[in-house]
Parts: sequence; structure tokens; C-alpha cells
Amino acid sequence: MPQSGNVSPERLRKLILATLPAAQRSGANPVVFGPGSELDSLGLVNFLADLEYRIAEEFDREVVLASERAMSRSRSPFRDVEALTAYAAELLNE
Amino acid sequence: MKASRVILVTGTSRGIGRGLAEHFLKHGDTVCGCSRGPATLKHRRYAHWELEVSDETAVVAMVREVVRRHGQVDALVNNAGIAAMNHALLTPAATARGIFATNFHGTFLFCREVAKAMVRRKSGRIVNFSTVATPLRLEGEALYAASKAAVESFTEVLARELGETGVTVNAIGPTPVPTDLVRNVPEAKMQALLARQAIRRFGTVDDIANALEFFLSPRSEFVTGQVLYLGGVNR
Repeated sequence: MPQSGNVSPERLRKLILATLPAAQRSGANPVVFGPGSELDSLGLVNFLADLEYRIAEEFDREVVLASERAMSRSRSPFRDVEALTAYAAELLNE
Repeated sequence: MKASRVILVTGTSRGIGRGLAEHFLKHGDTVCGCSRGPATLKHRRYAHWELEVSDETAVVAMVREVVRRHGQVDALVNNAGIAAMNHALLTPAATARGIFATNFHGTFLFCREVAKAMVRRKSGRIVNFSTVATPLRLEGEALYAASKAAVESFTEVLARELGETGVTVNAIGPTPVPTDLVRNVPEAKMQALLARQAIRRFGTVDDIANALEFFLSPRSEFVTGQVLYLGGVNR
């Protein structure tokens, strides 16, 4: 059921984990992209596209994760689940 | 892919875009179109969005709504375009920005958003629109030709970036077609342009639809990154 309003980081984190390749879901804060990740650059593209659609289904909100804000950060918000959860929550709670 | 395709066409209120939308509807497809103004087409398999193709938020919302409604987009036809015939030295900066906003940024935004949906399904066809003005290096169309050169280059690179995803990206370079876009071009200028084609006549929507259907065919899965000029024009 789509949910509007402020999003819960925990639900977002679960959604991110479910979108990640199964082999990458273990540990307290799994890597998303970078050393230790299974995703190559095309894999990251697929992952983010998939995540945008899952976020829209879950929260009824449209986000573009590869935003200028994401690209200009010195530390990539796509590095691990914690960083991506915080970044996506920031976009969704604007 | 021929039966009941879902096709997103930009710039459907008039000219080539409207003609192509009618072509697809006639062949049983579902068409999702857009333009700056309201729909000029009414059909049970046609849905219209009123938007600027360079408006990122509006494009994202439209594409995701189309995917929500239909579950897929089989083909994207990036037809929306504007032209401003003028000497480069007499072209205002705002005009240059406007041409690039519609012709290039609009094409880019629709490609980006529709490709995300296509990549998830590992299939899809994207066809962008260039023009013979680019390979002919037409004087008086510097900004228009440059914006379409950007579309060609983008098409070729995007085709490579999506090469392993089942999504093909090609472009068509139509000759002038008698539409509003070329209405204000002086007759002598138009005749001089036609004289540079191997086949010296105006193009038709059907000429474009024919080339388009080649790119959209399921059998064209090995054809990507190509720019096909009509009328016998070469780069």
C-alpha cells in the first residue's frame, strides 16, 4: 500500500536491502557500490532504477536518486546501505 | 512487439508527432503523448500529458505514470523539437537555450527515464529525432543543427551504454516535411535544401513511420547506435 508523508528510515532500509543482490545483503551495513560490491557500473544503474520504482510503489513518491546533490557530494551516498538510506530519506522528506 | 505496443511519443499535438501517433493508433498500439498544450487527438488508446519536455519533474512523473498504468513502455519516440531559422550572429542567447532545452535536454530526460523502465524489463526501443540539417551543415540553422548534432552524439553513446541491456537506441534524420516547423522558411531556401538530397522532394509522415518501424521491429535487436537519414542524405 503506498504511504505518503514522512518516510520511516527502517522501511527504506528494508526496501534498499531487498533491492540489493542477495549476496550483498549480509552484515550490519552492507556495501552498495565500491570495493566489496558485486555491482559494476551497469549493475548500479539497474539497482538505482529498480529502487526508484520500488520507492514509488511503496511510498507513492517519485525520486531521482542520481541527482546533482548525490553526484556533487565528496562521499558517495551510494557507498553503503546506511548512507543510501539517509540520502533517500532526505530526498523523500523534503 | 508488434501487437498492442505501448509507445511514448513526444510532441504529439501537431506535425510529425501527431502523424506518428495516428500511425501507431491505426496499427492497434497504445500511445502516450505529450506536448506543451492540450491534446489535439482523441482516441480510446491515446492518453495525453501537458508538459515541457525539458521539465525534469514533469517528465519523471509522466514516465512513471505511464509505467504504472501499462506496466511497460515498448518504445520511446523522441519527436518533440523546435527550430529557429536565423544567422548564428543574430541568434539571441535565450533562443539558443530554448532550442537546446527542447531538442537536447528533452530528449535526454525522456531517454533517461524511459530507459530505466526498459532496462528493468531488458527490452525496449528508443528512437530519437535528428535532421538532415545536421549533416548538410545548413546555413541559417546553426543552433538547430547543433542541438540535433548533440542528439546524434547522445544517441550513439547511449546505445553503447545500454548495449547489453536489450534496449536499442537509434535516430532518424528526416528531410523537411511540410509542417509548422518549416512553414516560415523561405521557398527558395527550401528548394535549395531539397536540391541537396538524392531524392529531391519533401518527406512525409509515412516516410518517417517506415524508418521508425524498422527500428521498432523485434527483428532489429542487433541494430543500435545508428542515425538513418531520409532522402539520400549522408553525414
